[in-house]
Amino acid sequence: MRGHKEIKLLRGLYVRCFFTGVATLLSLHGQAADTDTITGKVHQMNEVTVTSRRAPNRVSAAVPVQTLSIEDLTQLGVQNMADAVRRFAGTNVRDYGGIGGLKTVSVRNMGAAHTAVSYDGAPVSNCQAGQIDIGRFSLDNVGMLSLAVGQTDDMLQCARLYASAAVLGITTERPSFSSDKPAQFRIKMTGGSFGYVSPSLRWWQKIGSRVTTSLDGTFLRADGNYPFTLVNGKNVTRERRNNSAIDSWHGEANMYYDMPGGGDLQVKGYYFYSKRGLPGAIVLYNPVSTEQLWDKNAFVQAKYHKAFSEKWELQAQAKYNYGWNKDTEEGPQFAGNHYEAVHKQNEYYASATGLFRPVSNLTVALAQDGAVNTLESTMVGCPNPTRYTSLTALSARWRQSVLNIFGSVVGTYITERVESGDRPHDIKRVTPSLSVSVNPVSGEMFYVRAMYKSTFRVPTFNDLYYDRLGSRVLRPEKANEFDLGLTWSGTFFPAMDYFSVTLDAYYNDVTDKIVAFPTTYAWRMINYGKVHVTGLDVTLSTAISLPKDIKLVVNGAYTWQRAIDVTDTDSPNYKAQLPYTPEHSGNASAIVETPWVNVGYSVVAVGMRYYMSENIKANEIDGYAEQTLSLSRDFRFNGCDLTVRGELINLADAQYDVIKFYPMPGRSWRLTGTFKF
Amino acid sequence: MRKLYFAMAALVAFGSVFTSCSDDDEPKWNDDDSKVQLSESRMYILNEGTMNQNNASISFYNPGEGQPTFITDVFFDQNGGRLGDVAQCMIKYGKNIYVAVYGSNYMVKLNTACVEEERTLFSSDPELQGGVRYIAAKDNYIYASFYGGIVAKINASTLKVESKLKTAGANLEGVAIEGNSLYVANSYERTTNPETGSNVYNYLTDVFVIDLNTFSVKETLVVEQNPNKLIEEDDKLFLISNNYGRESYVLQMIDPAAGNKVSELGYATNMAAGDDMLYLVDSRTDYSVRPFVTTNTFSSYDIKSGRLNSASFLKDAPSELATASVYMMAVSEYTGDIYIGVTNYSSSNGTMYRFKQDGSFVSKFDCGGQNPRDAVFFN
Repeated sequence: MRGHKEIKLLRGLYVRCFFTGVATLLSLHGQAADTDTITGKVHQMNEVTVTSRRAPNRVSAAVPVQTLSIEDLTQLGVQNMADAVRRFAGTNVRDYGGIGGLKTVSVRNMGAAHTAVSYDGAPVSNCQAGQIDIGRFSLDNVGMLSLAVGQTDDMLQCARLYASAAVLGITTERPSFSSDKPAQFRIKMTGGSFGYVSPSLRWWQKIGSRVTTSLDGTFLRADGNYPFTLVNGKNVTRERRNNSAIDSWHGEANMYYDMPGGGDLQVKGYYFYSKRGLPGAIVLYNPVSTEQLWDKNAFVQAKYHKAFSEKWELQAQAKYNYGWNKDTEEGPQFAGNHYEAVHKQNEYYASATGLFRPVSNLTVALAQDGAVNTLESTMVGCPNPTRYTSLTALSARWRQSVLNIFGSVVGTYITERVESGDRPHDIKRVTPSLSVSVNPVSGEMFYVRAMYKSTFRVPTFNDLYYDRLGSRVLRPEKANEFDLGLTWSGTFFPAMDYFSVTLDAYYNDVTDKIVAFPTTYAWRMINYGKVHVTGLDVTLSTAISLPKDIKLVVNGAYTWQRAIDVTDTDSPNYKAQLPYTPEHSGNASAIVETPWVNVGYSVVAVGMRYYMSENIKANEIDGYAEQTLSLSRDFRFNGCDLTVRGELINLADAQYDVIKFYPMPGRSWRLTGTFKF
Repeated sequence: MRKLYFAMAALVAFGSVFTSCSDDDEPKWNDDDSKVQLSESRMYILNEGTMNQNNASISFYNPGEGQPTFITDVFFDQNGGRLGDVAQCMIKYGKNIYVAVYGSNYMVKLNTACVEEERTLFSSDPELQGGVRYIAAKDNYIYASFYGGIVAKINASTLKVESKLKTAGANLEGVAIEGNSLYVANSYERTTNPETGSNVYNYLTDVFVIDLNTFSVKETLVVEQNPNKLIEEDDKLFLISNNYGRESYVLQMIDPAAGNKVSELGYATNMAAGDDMLYLVDSRTDYSVRPFVTTNTFSSYDIKSGRLNSASFLKDAPSELATASVYMMAVSEYTGDIYIGVTNYSSSNGTMYRFKQDGSFVSKFDCGGQNPRDAVFFN
């Protein structure tokens, strides 16, 4: 039975253990300076400068980049980070339900560990579990979310982002001051179903002409005990999700210093705490659930950027991250009726990127990262490993009116030390990428793009050291990405701000996939799996400005995907679609902004998929469509703004699971009041 | 007059009991409320399923003549609901089947057609929340071991927990009854190193001998560490300890006639007994090759003569069985047929291989569920 328990524990650990770090792929700031002019035009009206809505997808990029702005996120009633990310084409969000449940994102089915998450430009890491729980990030101070597949052409990024197969970029909102007041405050209060209460405070301050600061604090609590319908053959019962309560705090302080002589410094401090119940899977006839998880995460990071001349630019970053979590469970199967595991991770991280433009068409960049990661854990037999990582990325871009070529080479060196037992072999690998974008018709925003990228993920500390299951001889898991896309953006009539369409066909393969391999009585991690992924992502977006200040924004995304297991030709599951991979999925949204009321409507739809490896009827999990409606109205008085917003989530009360036996909430509501002064 | 009436009534009642016991009137099986017509010879296979997937099941296989030959999930068909999460143990007692389901933490009593008659949920009792493991039956009681050190004495008719024995053990596993004694394996403890705070598995070395008359531990035997599977045959007990420190799992014999003497017989990872014979498999994995390869060595132990026969008891087994993951073995008490269930874990259903008593291969078939764990026979 231990085998089973171990698998459960491993899964649990993946659920439990993640650690953050933080900073951006594309800062808002950086994007404003972008050359994709059609999506960044500025209107003047009523003496207030309003940046018009950006198209969510940059058509000129050589690789697929999708974005969601804070306006879209709020107008659509997006509930949390996972709800936002699932609206990007090609993503597969695993959501274990509720507010506190684990939420991870896998891009184009390469696995969650292949997706990097950056917070204001600095990578977020979790060497223990590999995957990042995106559910923990608050949307309260987010300005922009982006998802880039393959190698973005932002050359001033750190080497770790160059090394990733896909990057989810979280960019926080940078203070902007629309009046002469040196300070701006925002008080926000949200309440909703299942005991959801979340007050938040924000303070933006201008200090002199060169320094601005921001301070954000959010508290969130919810009972999370939502009702759901359990169907067990002829028995249909109405149950409640128990042990789902969450309490969490999030605080963040930023300082932006516009240095004399052109430098730009951003320093951030971040703190997160949460205590939550982990209800686990619904187990028939056994409602007992006692697992609790505590998380603490704190980090400080600093980013410095300077353009020395037209030819030279430098960006340097440093970060210290501390992650702690504690997992407890009660029951007579544990000595003293109590189980407790504590994991601590530290990360010391530094990165510098230099950019050089020797001639007008050519840009070359060199990025060097160094990181030290440690784990101390009470898990059985943990050898308290320390990992030393060096990443070097050399990249070059050739840009001409018709052609844009971008290539990079990333060199990785990783060595590890352990307090007991053998240490794993060092990892030394060089991985290339190449992307091309062609603009064949002059004056048209029409592009043909192609991309190849080779990446890998290193074994996590759990893969290597988990008691009896881990294996210290694991090699990296390798991935190859190919993409061929067509993009077009234009307008059909003057009132149309933009109409963009992107179409990308892709093929990925993952080899030496790290999987738990069953032997008769003990499972062990091994480089064994092989996966082929073929897919098609289509996105469509348009914005129309109508008379009387009425604006309409419509977005849609569709993904077709076939992700098959090609590990073993003798296996009954050879060429079977991977679990939790729908062949069809997509979403659509519409926002209508009027001077009286703003309306947002969205639907996310996912087709049938299998919840286990074998593609048989018994393993099918039904598709679903979840609709959300949001209404809001802005009031202005005495120089203050008040926004009142109501959201109705899962309008049709669809009962569905993303992960089998982790039921999602039915219809619920939220009401938010935001006061700015 | 009143007494005479009662005496006559008693006589009639007594007579009717006798009548109902005669072979002519009483049906061979207890198939009340069955929704399906089942053949006379029956094998029920308990599929453990995969943790957190609620896909434990019971399949029906007809080892004899007639229809139906196989039903994928007869428990669901008969009862309209799923068996639950992680089935652990299934026994036959009289004209009933008892199933312990570990994840769902309950026990269910079925008739010979797999129709539910009673169930008892353990999750409401904090002492039993560690989960039910193995069960054994005697004198209208079911004895169940639990994680957390409890042995429960359960009325086999009503399934009421009549008594609980808190042993000195931690997580209990296999149980077997010989004479008036219940043998219980005390496998391991999950605890914390007080100095480092690290979690540890503390492997234990006990088999408790419980006197069923007093329902108390009368003796504690010392065995190889991490004792697990326990069966009784020919008045002897056979135990496999999952000692990860040894070259393979350790097979031991406990002889009640010799003062519960424990002797080591060799290595085995799974076993089944029938007709004075203990059928053994020793599965070992070579981790130095990619992918890992497990090799099965089949052997047998003649309980009467005490001789270990290292030659395989299988004659013409399909070649893939040599490297498959053997998850269960069972012997039909009616025919002596040997069944070997192999698992594909959660990737697909298990496969059952059937052999005659002489080791000749009969057939193989899909188990109808994942991780075949146990089997019972009616004939």
